[in-house]
Amino acid sequence: MGKKKCVAMLLAGGKGSRLNSLTRDLAKPAVPFGGKYRIIDFALSNCANSGIDTVGVLTQYQPLLLNSYIGIGSAWDLDRKDGGVTVLPPYAESSEVKWYTGTASAIYQNLNYLKQYQPDYVLILSGDHIYKMNYESMLEYHIEKRADVTISLIEVPWVEASRFGIMNTDEDLRIVEFEEKPANPKNNLASMGIYIFNWNILKEYLEMDDRNPESSHDFGKDVIPALLEENKKLFAYPFKGYWKDVGTVQSLWEANMDLLREECDLDLFDHGWRIYSVNPNQPPQYISSHAIVKESLINEGCTIEGEVDNSVLFQGVTIGKGSIIKESVIMPDAVIGSNCLIERAIVPFDVRVPDGTVIRSFDDEIILVTEEMLSGLYPAF
Amino acid sequence: MKRKLLGVIDATTYHDDLEDLLTHRSLAALPFGGRYRIIDFVLSNMVNSGIRSVAIFPKMQYRSLMDHLGSGKNWDLNRKQDGLFFFPSPIVDNDKNKIGSFEHFAVNLDFFYRSTQEYSIISNCYTVFNMNFRPILNWHSSSGCDITELHQTGGGSMEMYLIKTSLLIKLIETRNETGYTCMKDVVNDLNSLYNVCHYEYDGYAVMIDSIENYFSTSMNLLKSDVWKRLFLKEQPILTKVKDEPPTKYVKGSSVKNAMIANGCIIGGTVENSIVSRGVKIGKGAVIKNCIIMQKCHIDDNCYLDSVILDKDVKVEAGTHLTGTALSPYVIRKGTKQGALMNS
Repeated sequence: MGKKKCVAMLLAGGKGSRLNSLTRDLAKPAVPFGGKYRIIDFALSNCANSGIDTVGVLTQYQPLLLNSYIGIGSAWDLDRKDGGVTVLPPYAESSEVKWYTGTASAIYQNLNYLKQYQPDYVLILSGDHIYKMNYESMLEYHIEKRADVTISLIEVPWVEASRFGIMNTDEDLRIVEFEEKPANPKNNLASMGIYIFNWNILKEYLEMDDRNPESSHDFGKDVIPALLEENKKLFAYPFKGYWKDVGTVQSLWEANMDLLREECDLDLFDHGWRIYSVNPNQPPQYISSHAIVKESLINEGCTIEGEVDNSVLFQGVTIGKGSIIKESVIMPDAVIGSNCLIERAIVPFDVRVPDGTVIRSFDDEIILVTEEMLSGLYPAF
Repeated sequence: MKRKLLGVIDATTYHDDLEDLLTHRSLAALPFGGRYRIIDFVLSNMVNSGIRSVAIFPKMQYRSLMDHLGSGKNWDLNRKQDGLFFFPSPIVDNDKNKIGSFEHFAVNLDFFYRSTQEYSIISNCYTVFNMNFRPILNWHSSSGCDITELHQTGGGSMEMYLIKTSLLIKLIETRNETGYTCMKDVVNDLNSLYNVCHYEYDGYAVMIDSIENYFSTSMNLLKSDVWKRLFLKEQPILTKVKDEPPTKYVKGSSVKNAMIANGCIIGGTVENSIVSRGVKIGKGAVIKNCIIMQKCHIDDNCYLDSVILDKDVKVEAGTHLTGTALSPYVIRKGTKQGALMNS
C-alpha cells in the first residue's frame, strides 16, 4: 500500500432522526437532494475535486442502500488501484463486537485502515452537509500554520450561535476555547465538523480517549477539549460560502428551494467543481403541450403533463395532467396522478399519489408525505 | 446467451445527405434525442438482449465515436471475458455504404475465429429502434435458414442479418472466389447457395439517412406513442453519462412539448423542440421546432424556427434564424451566429 499524504475519513453512520420517515430505511447521507444527488455526493465530490483519492466511509445505521450507492466509488472517480474508497462498517473482534459509539470511536476503531497508508494528515468529514469546499486549500493552511489540528468554521447568525459548537479564537485564528452549544456565545464561528489532524496527534489522542471511561468518544465534546487543555495548536479555518446541515424536514426543503434562486450560492452548474453522483441513465425529461413549468429544477426521466412551480423534481418522476406541484420536492420515481394539488411538501421516492389528491400546508410546516398518509386521504376535487 | 450470439456493428456508413452534421464525426456518433448517439440504439438493444460480446467496425472520423464508447462501461461491456471490441478499418477507399464489408472483417478474421458465440448478428449503426434480438435468434435457429435478414413490416431490409458465426467466417474467407463483398451481396444473390429468410419486424424502426429524415424522426420523439416504444424501462437505451446537474428553469421560461436533457438553463420559450445536455437559452429567446445539440448557447431575445444547431454553437442576442420542416437550417458545430451576420 503506497504512502498517502492525506487520507479522508467520512462519517456516514448518522441516523438523522429529525428527518422522520425519510431516514427510516436509509442513513442520512443517502437522503436525496437537489433533484439528482444524495447528501454524501457533496463530501465525496469535494474529495475528488480536492485531489484526495483515499477515502474511508464509516457506516453504521441502515447501511444497505448507502453501501450499494457508493459501490467501488466509480461515480466520484474513486475507484483506484491504490487507495480509492473503502466502506468501513463496525466489526467484531475476537473479544467483542464494537459498535461505533461516537465520532471519535468510529475513527479509533479504524486506525488500522489509516496505518496502511502512513498518512501525514487525516481529514475528518461528515457526510451530512451540503457544501462545496476545497480541502486542499484547507490542508495548505494547516501546514502553513504548523497546526496540530485545523477546524473549519463558518459564520452563523448570532441568534443561532447557541445551537452550534462555537470556537473562540485569538487574532491569529488560534482556537483558545471551544464551547458546545453555549447559552451566551462569545463568538458566532461554528464548527462545521471538518477537521484536519496531524496523524501522530490523532493517533495519540484517540488512543487516550479510548482509555478514558468518562468519555463519550465524540470529537467535539471530548477530543477537541482534551487537545485544548494540553495547549495543542488548534487553528480555525474560516470557510465562506454555502453550507447547510439538512438535519430536518424543514431544512432539507429549504436547501432544495435555495437551488431555485437564479443566483444561487451553491452553483451546481460550475464545471470546474462538479458534484458527481451515480447517474441513472434515463431519457431526457419530457414536457408535454399541457404542461407549465416555472422556476424549477427537473432531472432526466421525468414526464411532466401538469404544472410545476418552484419545485425540485428528481429522476423518473411523473406528473399527471391537471396536477399542480408548488414549492415541493418530489423524490425519484414518485408518480403523481392527475388533478392533484401538492403544495409545500416533500414526496419521498417511489410514492404513488392517487388522482385528485390534495396535500397542502396551511402553516409554515412542510409536509412529508407518507404512504400511510395517502391511504387515509380521499380525492378532494 | 453468452456463448450464443455475437454482436457486430458496422459503423462505416456515411450518408452524403447528412454531410453538414458529419464533418467532425461518423454517422454512428450522430447526436440524437437530446442525449444519445445513434449507435446507442443498436448497442443497447444488443446488451439488453443478453449479448456480451460486441465488435464495432468503424472507419475514419471515429474519434468522437471512441470518445463516446470508451471502455464500454456505460453498456456494462467493460468485461474481462468478452466485452467491447473496436476494429477501425485500415482500408480507406472501400465502398462507404456496404453493411458488413467482408474486406473489413477479413482484416480482423482472428477475432471471429476466437469468438465462441455460435451465431452472429450483423447490424448497421444508424437505426433508431428498441428491439429484443432474443426472439429472432430463437426463430432463426429453429427455422433451418442459413441467413435471416430483418425486414420491416411493409418496408424493406433493415440491413441486419443473423448468421452462424462459422458461415460468416466461411463467407469472409471465400470472398474472392464468390465475389460477395458484403452481407447484402449474399442475400440479394438469387442464385445463392444459401437459404435466406426474412424476419418481419413490426415495431418502430427508422434508418437515419438524410437531414430531412433526421429532423422528422427527432420531432416524432415528441409524440408519446413513439416515445413509449423507444424508451422502455425494462430495455433502456444506454449512453455515455455526463454528470450534468438537473435542468434549471428560471424566471421567464415557457416550455411546451419538448424533450430536454440535463444541465440546461432555460430562460426563454421552447416549443416542439429537442434540447441536448448543457444548453443555455437566454431570456426572451424563442425556440420552435428546433434540434439544439450539446452545449449550445442561445442568448437573449433570439428567434429560432426549424433550425438544427450542432454542438457548441453560440447564437448572439437578438439573432433570427429560420428554416422549414422539409429543409431545416443547419448550423455547423462550434460556429458563432450573430445578429448582424444575417441582417
